[in-house]
Amino acid sequence: MKKLYLLLIAALLLVGILAGCVAENSGSSDSEGEAEAGGAEGESAGGEEGLDIAVVPKLVGIPYFNASESGANEAGEDLEGVNVNYTGPTQADASAQVKVIEDLISKNVDVIAVAPNDPASVEPVLKKAKESGIHVMDWDTPADKELVDLSVKQVDDEEFGRHMAQKLVEAMGTEEGEIAILTGGLSAANLNLWIEAAQKEFDENYPGIEIVSEKIPTDEKQQVAYQKTLDLLKSYPDLKGVLAVSTPAPLGAAQAVQEEGLQDEVSVVGSALPTDSAPFLEDGSLDTAVLWDPGKLGYLTVALGQMLAEGEMPEDGQEIEGVGEITVKEDGKTVIMGPPADFTKENAADFDF
Amino acid sequence: MKLSKESILGLIALGTFLLLALIAPGFLSSNNITSMMFQLPEFGLIALAMMVVIVTGGIDLSITYIAALSGVGAALMLTNGYGMLPAIIVAILFALACGAFNGFVISKIGVSPILVTLGTMVLFEGIILAITKGNSISGFSDGYSLIGNGYYLGLVPLSIVIFVLFAIITAILLSKTSWGRSVYMYGSNETATLFSGVKNSRVLMKVYLYASLLAAISAIIMTSRYNSVKVDLGSSYLLQSVAAAVLGGTNIHGGYGKVIGTVYAVMIFQFIRNGLNLLGFHSSLVDVVIGAILILVLAMNFFSDKFKKAAETRKAEKAA
Repeated sequence: MKKLYLLLIAALLLVGILAGCVAENSGSSDSEGEAEAGGAEGESAGGEEGLDIAVVPKLVGIPYFNASESGANEAGEDLEGVNVNYTGPTQADASAQVKVIEDLISKNVDVIAVAPNDPASVEPVLKKAKESGIHVMDWDTPADKELVDLSVKQVDDEEFGRHMAQKLVEAMGTEEGEIAILTGGLSAANLNLWIEAAQKEFDENYPGIEIVSEKIPTDEKQQVAYQKTLDLLKSYPDLKGVLAVSTPAPLGAAQAVQEEGLQDEVSVVGSALPTDSAPFLEDGSLDTAVLWDPGKLGYLTVALGQMLAEGEMPEDGQEIEGVGEITVKEDGKTVIMGPPADFTKENAADFDF
Repeated sequence: MKLSKESILGLIALGTFLLLALIAPGFLSSNNITSMMFQLPEFGLIALAMMVVIVTGGIDLSITYIAALSGVGAALMLTNGYGMLPAIIVAILFALACGAFNGFVISKIGVSPILVTLGTMVLFEGIILAITKGNSISGFSDGYSLIGNGYYLGLVPLSIVIFVLFAIITAILLSKTSWGRSVYMYGSNETATLFSGVKNSRVLMKVYLYASLLAAISAIIMTSRYNSVKVDLGSSYLLQSVAAAVLGGTNIHGGYGKVIGTVYAVMIFQFIRNGLNLLGFHSSLVDVVIGAILILVLAMNFFSDKFKKAAETRKAEKAA
């Protein structure tokens, strides 16, 4: 038996070493071949009718990304010669998302717009997409700047974070007291930027506000946010406000506040969709939901994807039909859709997402 | 009619492949075939690890977090300027430490595997969060990225070669060594195994160590392929790997399970996921299809077992 083990280990090492040297000198020749093949196929795909624009969300099946899906599909109908392919993983797992993108490369689409779960992990696959002649852009959450041809952002992060902070202070009706911050996930880049901006706003303009603990992750789940908020209400009986970032989090927080009957004592402000938050806005358990229109974001992504594939670049102040005036940052490829929108008890019923 | 569970599954895999080749555009293109070969190994290795554990009648719910933690180990080494080899060794050591911990609590203290690994799942997740603060660690050397993205002999993805190699090693370990036989014996009846002079705790310890080794290999491939690691690296593989092992014919109560069955099951998952993506199906529908196939095959297995048993008792009655 010992001999067998030894033999196995020896074989393993040998193959390992062989693999090590062979892989390195074959990598370049193969990527050339691939690039050629990709170019050729790209042409043939171009010969077919219409542009294939793939929009990849962080995950499918949550209200936010469902809303952007309908926006993207609407753009596909409005714009001539555009086929929209909206597909993403069912879990917010970076590796599952990479597989979706790889399959899209096999499908030979013309544009891939991705909202990365983890910007670093989509880097290799986006490189691969570029090598096979696909236009690469990001939306919702930025990917590596060097790799994308265009970056579509919903709002200015700084402005959005500060805006949420102001809304929370407004809802609390006092500039002093304890608050807590809930977030979707600790590594979501955009959520972190908003929280940083909000913290800056508190530090600079509302020194009486005390944040009771580190930002609390809720796994992008309403249920988890609900649980964590219940815990918070128990551990900090003087809590005045909850800032909940990521779309399910404010709902869970509001649910907890509603159940405990603390609508008047604890203010909740966060980023949520108006239809979801309507029942909580109604009785004041959620004070203000701040967001943008994800449908418009999906629409804008597809519209810009078409421009990109046709060789145009958006300009600052350009009017996009169905979306409005956009802002383009100095780098020429970061597009900002517009200012944040507030949803309150009064206006939440007017929106259908 | 004397086909084993595994051969039937192999035929199903072949059938899905042919069907998708016919109906999914671009399924057979060389680009797509290579991209599938890149996608399969990381999940395949985790599924093999899960299978080995399930054969003992246990389950390892911490397996993807072991992988993530070992990936973090490798990433820390790489970003601190160490070479590839030390990074790989550290990754394996991290995983083995996790596996040893699982193995110790399960085999020496005797807590049931599902409870222990549920606990260690949260524990390892916590450790990773403490190390990474939830951010991803990224930016590895080009050499390292060849493990997951490079080609062996310029033809086959290196990662699939590694996967095949470990599948063969696992098969040999399980069917040709005394440890392997003890694993199956323990899975069928641990008391009988103990009384026949087998050191159960040692067998179990090695099972969890081996599973974590496979997880480490998977982690090395994943970190190299995605050029980054973060707390949820491969977390979607956890329940899928249980599904693949069970679809591959492994008995969830232990005592039976073959490497080739798991490999077929992983291939079926891979074909369907990729094929349906190419066909433009909604991702949630892909999950529905995979779930349906799983239930179907399990029901088939259940009934074929039942018929076999009925036939055997009839035979026995006749003989009596």
